[in-house]
Amino acid sequence: MAISCAPGGGSTNSTSASELSGTEPAKGKIEVVAFKGGYGIDFYQQAAKDFQAKNSGVSVTVTGDPHVWEQLRPRMVAGDPPDLMYPGWGLDHWKLADEGQIYTLDKALDSPAYDGQGTWGSTFEPSILKLGQKDGKQYVLPYFFNLQGMWFDPGVFAKHGWKIPATFDGLLTLCNQIKAAGIAPLTFQGKYPYYLIENMIIPWIQDIGGIEAVNDLQNLTPGAWKSPAVLQAVTMIDTLNKQGDFLKGSVGLTHTEAQTAFLQGRAAMIPCGTWLHSEMSATMPPGAQMQYFLPPMVTGGKGDPSAIAISIEPWMIPTKAKNPGGGIAFFKYLTSLDEAKKFVIQKATLMSIKGSDQVQLPPTLVEPARLFHASKTIYSYIARQWYPAQETEIENALTSMLNQELTPRQFCDRAEAAADKTRNDATITKHHLS
Amino acid sequence: MNKALRQTAFALLYISILGPMLWMFISSIKPGYEIVSSPWSLPNPVHLINYSKAWNENGLGHAFTNSILICVGALIILLPAGAMAAYVLARYPFKGSQIIFGTFLGGMMFPFFLVMVPLFFLMTQIHLFDTKIGLILVYVGFSLSFTVFVLTGFFQTLPNELAEAAMLDGCNDHATFWKVMLPLAKPGILVVGVFNAIGLWNEYGLALVLMPSPQNRTLPLGIANLASTQQYGSDWGALFAGLVIAVVPVLAVYWLFRNEIHRTMMAGALKG
Amino acid sequence: MDKDSIRFSPAEQTALKRADSHKNPRRKSKRNPGRSMFIALYLAPALILYAVFVVWPLIQAFQFSMYRWSGLSNQSTMIGLDNFRALAHDDHFWNALKHNIWLEIVIGVLVVILSLVVAHALIAKGSSVKWLRGVILFPQMMSLIVVAILWMFIYNPQFGLLNAIFGALHMPGDQKTWLGKPDTALAAVGIAFAWYAVGFYAMLFAAGLSGIPAEVNEAAELDGAVGLQKFFKVTWANLWAMKRIVAVHLTITVLNVFVLVFIMTSGGPDRATDVLLTYLYERAFTDSNFGYATAIAVANFAVAMVLTLIILKAIGRDPTEARDFKRLKT
Repeated sequence: MAISCAPGGGSTNSTSASELSGTEPAKGKIEVVAFKGGYGIDFYQQAAKDFQAKNSGVSVTVTGDPHVWEQLRPRMVAGDPPDLMYPGWGLDHWKLADEGQIYTLDKALDSPAYDGQGTWGSTFEPSILKLGQKDGKQYVLPYFFNLQGMWFDPGVFAKHGWKIPATFDGLLTLCNQIKAAGIAPLTFQGKYPYYLIENMIIPWIQDIGGIEAVNDLQNLTPGAWKSPAVLQAVTMIDTLNKQGDFLKGSVGLTHTEAQTAFLQGRAAMIPCGTWLHSEMSATMPPGAQMQYFLPPMVTGGKGDPSAIAISIEPWMIPTKAKNPGGGIAFFKYLTSLDEAKKFVIQKATLMSIKGSDQVQLPPTLVEPARLFHASKTIYSYIARQWYPAQETEIENALTSMLNQELTPRQFCDRAEAAADKTRNDATITKHHLS
Repeated sequence: MNKALRQTAFALLYISILGPMLWMFISSIKPGYEIVSSPWSLPNPVHLINYSKAWNENGLGHAFTNSILICVGALIILLPAGAMAAYVLARYPFKGSQIIFGTFLGGMMFPFFLVMVPLFFLMTQIHLFDTKIGLILVYVGFSLSFTVFVLTGFFQTLPNELAEAAMLDGCNDHATFWKVMLPLAKPGILVVGVFNAIGLWNEYGLALVLMPSPQNRTLPLGIANLASTQQYGSDWGALFAGLVIAVVPVLAVYWLFRNEIHRTMMAGALKG
Repeated sequence: MDKDSIRFSPAEQTALKRADSHKNPRRKSKRNPGRSMFIALYLAPALILYAVFVVWPLIQAFQFSMYRWSGLSNQSTMIGLDNFRALAHDDHFWNALKHNIWLEIVIGVLVVILSLVVAHALIAKGSSVKWLRGVILFPQMMSLIVVAILWMFIYNPQFGLLNAIFGALHMPGDQKTWLGKPDTALAAVGIAFAWYAVGFYAMLFAAGLSGIPAEVNEAAELDGAVGLQKFFKVTWANLWAMKRIVAVHLTITVLNVFVLVFIMTSGGPDRATDVLLTYLYERAFTDSNFGYATAIAVANFAVAMVLTLIILKAIGRDPTEARDFKRLKT
């Protein structure tokens, strides 16, 4: 059998002896493969053209697909990966890091930035850059980043005289008002429970128990999933569910179905990341609007009311790439301030590059940007990527709770059991948040 | 069974089979939002643009072409190879021919999932992963079990006298096969060909694993992709049009050959 | 196929002997040297393709199941039977197997009953039957993808066919999210499968029914057996050969169900519809554990073998043997 048998199954961290310097000038062919999601790949393709114009003798190809990881997986196995890749959410890049399939980029980050002002690493927002590290080493780099939160239609709210509440109790009252008007107060992307988890439950856990409560979850601290903060946050969802505040059938809706229901006015609020506008702009009914808000706080919570959960999407350089230097050079260009500003304007999302939002922001981005800059605590529920099997189990438990098969306490028990399993499984690489 | 009962039974059968299909056809010429808001109304106006959308924007036209190329390509290799092997196994017994026949038979027993992982790896290694010719060869491999099984039985029923007469006339084994026996086997080959064509046209699992890139997609993959693609999550019209595009060619081929298929199925089934 | 196997009744064996008349002892002694070449040449294309793309991967599959392999690179570790040991304690695996078995029993029986009923309609005389024969296989002609998507729309809570019918008939119940609720999801998928499969088995049974000699039916009717009585006492016994084929084929098909579940529910909600192959897919692609996934496939294969053997034992001998033998003797 042709699988080579390397020793050990835990963290075989075999990065090549010579790390990427990041100072190689761009030359030859550079192949980029990117996930084609809500933001498409047209931006990267245009940037590729511009980069070629600025660097004679260089050719950059950018390809992508909504299921791009299906093509990348066999290429990784065959040892024939692209030079720069953004695989989306279907490829376990942390496992790739474990198996030494992607470069560490610390040295490259110390090299000069594209426009020569300081190091490349210093052009990134540090709190966001940190999310691409494992054991203190930088494996993946962020590009755009998403804020997790909720959305409402200001037009609809204005028409009915509704206001976004500041507290959870206020939210319950608002839901009753909305129901009286014959509209479902909330809907969610039931087929993908992580929308509820990342946009409402985790922020509420932070709100009640502070960032420590969230960190405990991510660090697999024993008992973390049964903490009072978790139980209360999950009970809040259960309360909304039992009071009929969710659009009927939400638990079976895909993301586009739920989001369409929201935009068509059948539901008043929905949890989603800041990609919502880009994803739905083509099919938005005329007159529909969307505005971002953070889940209403619990009175007396320990956490930082300005805290915001974010998520990044990973870009990486495979170790078997033929032109890794070229990959870095092109990504430096993509992450230059000018390009980043263009992305903000065209795609209505925030970028991990400092100063990139000093532009005329698209309307749906104004509120997220304001809240981001005012926030004292930026965090991310990254454990979801670290422990996929555990996450599946937690999402399944949430679905059952939404179907009223489990009580919140039983959900916590199941989640804790899943975390226990992860803790005791030596073949799963453990990460740690400091 | 008295007549009224039979009529009711027939009616129920027709409704349960044709009903959903009819709904599918009608929905395919309605605009997307109408399917959702008034699923039972007749299209007004008729919205044929769904089909051009499905064909062009969603790449189903391309997937359709891929499927044709792959099905035809597979049949071109499968039928001769299968017929030749079946002929030998049926009429030229030798030590081990039973084992070989049994090996072909065994292939019908297990799901491709068992070999999905090694197959994925194998195709990657021989650089045939994500290529049309690669999928064609895999399809041929997996269709041989059924094809050899049926054609062997078929060749066994052909009368001996014709072959003997040909031999006496001076034909060697090759000529006997191509000039005499194969033409006699036309009905069997036709039906096996049609069955395989339909099966390969509709095949999803192997293609899913072995043909990920969008330009190589076969029609079932295209449909699945259309159903799950973010941008068109709410374009039901195009989705239904896509379903119809996938179904009509198969139904047409089947309807053309339904009598031959029926006859061979009954005969083959009787032989056990 | 060995003509001496107990699978064939003496009547069938005689027929096969006739077909085997080409095994003429006289020809064998005419040693034709080109013959071996001929045999080898004609077997080669099929055998080579089969060996490379089916047999070799099959052998490898058993090998792969003994490694821990993520499927993301070519690094792997030999762990012997650890995957299988873990499988034995894996609740999700047993849960999935349980669903396969549930489908085997519940949907299996449903499909057999429906197929038998339709089969009786198929062998009726009359021109209206010709159309039925054509239409009955329509569902089988559609790709499982199309069937899955079509039935997802039928079950859709907002504008689906099923809820519309229930609404029109003013039937009660909040049974609107058929695929989203754990108590209805598996049955809903099973019904979609039945819609797809019945036509094929109906054809097989129809063939079997038309193979029952007319004298048998007449004799039974003379004895006073009618309707269901006749069916159970006479028809069912005479469908011996077809029962076997249908049972084995249906069992293996249900055991290997994948596309319908994958597309309609992805094994959800909360694994309520998880079957062996959807679980396998999850472990391979979501959890990046290809070695374990292959172990699941091996287990699936083993279950298929066991079930097939049980069926062949249970529907073993031809109960009509004695009678046909008597007829031959006269």
